[in-house]
Amino acid sequence: MKKVLTQIIKQIICVGMIMIVLAPIVLTLFAALKTKGQMVTTSPLLLPSLSEITFDNFKKVLGDKYLLIGLKNTGIILVVSLIFNVLFGTITAYIIERFEFRLKKVIVALYFVGMLVPTFVTEIARYRIVNSLGLYNTLGAPIIIYIAADLMQLYIYRQFVSALSPSLDESALIDGCSYFRVFAQIIFPLLAPATATVIIIKSISIINDMYIPYLYMPANRLRTLTTFLMNYANAQQGSWQTLAAGIIVIMLPTILIYIVFQKYILSGIAAGAVKG
Amino acid sequence: MNSLVKKQRKFIVFAMLIPTILLIGFVLVPAVDLFRMSFTDWDGWSPTRNFIGIKNYLNMFKNKDLWLSLRNNAVYFFAHLIMIPVELAFAIMLNTKFRGYKFYRFMVFMPFIINGVAISYAFSYFFSPINGAFDEILTVLGLEGWIRNWLSDTKIVNFVLAFVSLWRYSGYHVTLFTAALQSVPQDMQEAARMDGANSWQMFRYIQVPSIALMVDFVLFDNIRGALQAFDVPFVMTQGGPGYASSTFTLFTINTAFKFSNFGLAATMAVALVFIIIIVHVIQNKLIHGLILKEEK
Repeated sequence: MKKVLTQIIKQIICVGMIMIVLAPIVLTLFAALKTKGQMVTTSPLLLPSLSEITFDNFKKVLGDKYLLIGLKNTGIILVVSLIFNVLFGTITAYIIERFEFRLKKVIVALYFVGMLVPTFVTEIARYRIVNSLGLYNTLGAPIIIYIAADLMQLYIYRQFVSALSPSLDESALIDGCSYFRVFAQIIFPLLAPATATVIIIKSISIINDMYIPYLYMPANRLRTLTTFLMNYANAQQGSWQTLAAGIIVIMLPTILIYIVFQKYILSGIAAGAVKG
Repeated sequence: MNSLVKKQRKFIVFAMLIPTILLIGFVLVPAVDLFRMSFTDWDGWSPTRNFIGIKNYLNMFKNKDLWLSLRNNAVYFFAHLIMIPVELAFAIMLNTKFRGYKFYRFMVFMPFIINGVAISYAFSYFFSPINGAFDEILTVLGLEGWIRNWLSDTKIVNFVLAFVSLWRYSGYHVTLFTAALQSVPQDMQEAARMDGANSWQMFRYIQVPSIALMVDFVLFDNIRGALQAFDVPFVMTQGGPGYASSTFTLFTINTAFKFSNFGLAATMAVALVFIIIIVHVIQNKLIHGLILKEEK
């Protein structure tokens, strides 16, 4: 009897949690399916009757040419940043974990400083450097910042490399393989699970990032998915039903990534945190 | 062997060169520059900047709006701090197997995944005074009297934004705690149970020490996160009305990029780093001195 009661209590708590998580999302979806008139006549907690549901708000946002531009820009930033993040992340983790060399302590300390520096306010000083390199209002600004300053992949990779047996690469080296070949043909493929985690988690944080694109790329043709939504919101001032459709559309990519790759995300978040 | 050492050195230098240059150029140099900038009157575009000593620091301490913003940060900090035991309890529950536990673990992390700008607008709608869902919920529950201007009443707006912050990050903490609990060895838990340990003893002597590292991380993350609360107020209220929902980071960013006072903003950034370190040290002393002292 006591067991049944605990089960029921657990279910009630969890259903309550789900309602809190879903409320802002579902209610926004309701608004996105309403006409301007229905926003006033129907309760915000309810959908209009099925026959009266409208998809005009979604048509409007999906037909906005800047949404496509945003998708393209986010895609470019994502692919370039991830390629270099994975390349630099794997090789740096490999070298730090496997080799002893002068300046190693200095470099490790540098990475530690990198994790300590607060994110947003650093842009006050970084702004000058990015500008002086002529990267302001180019896709290069977010790309180089994501590559240089976002360091969480290093912690995930270091954990993975330290779990690989050194005898693997030692025997290959004795056979006359160069270090590059050992890295490219033995180590890099073995890090594939970590790479999957890194790519998925970083994709989500890059797609969702607002501040770097907002600060460095005010030009219209350089909108990302997230800054597109900010502009769209300003244009739809006071018309919640059209903005609601925009909100839902911009939420979708990361939610889909999460649904498909939840296993990698949940394990990677914990791994990145403990070391970080 | 000597040639192998040489080969190794060549490999290390070649591979580490670009990542290290990037790290120095985009992390270390800005960090140092921030410190130097804090003693100047730089405006963001002038080719020169004048050294003005500690004037920025004096101005910072005199700035009432900044103190108000810092107080707003404190609301975020304490709200999340109070939630930590709740999050822990929730994680312990999710660590047991019951119907649907996998789905619930999935859902609890969902808010952390969702686009922050999108959810900020969604909450602006949720709390909006015209056709807003929250007011409707209160009406349905017969609590019309509680209805307020959630996002424009200076007395409550910051609490509403802190709630949005809780919505976004509590599940993240639950997920971290759940992951840490899963790393507690099963045989250890069983042995304790065989010896007649009750739930509280299990929690206090088996689970807490095992997840102490993660609690440490979440506490540190809470300081960092609370002081850097930025995107929710930036999107939802721009820190307004007045400075009622401004935060330290939002104020700093506006000082630089809106009011072109990079020198003063750099000073605030430096202060931010020091506050994070100081609060962390105090918190660590408290945690290790009071709660975990028996382990030492």
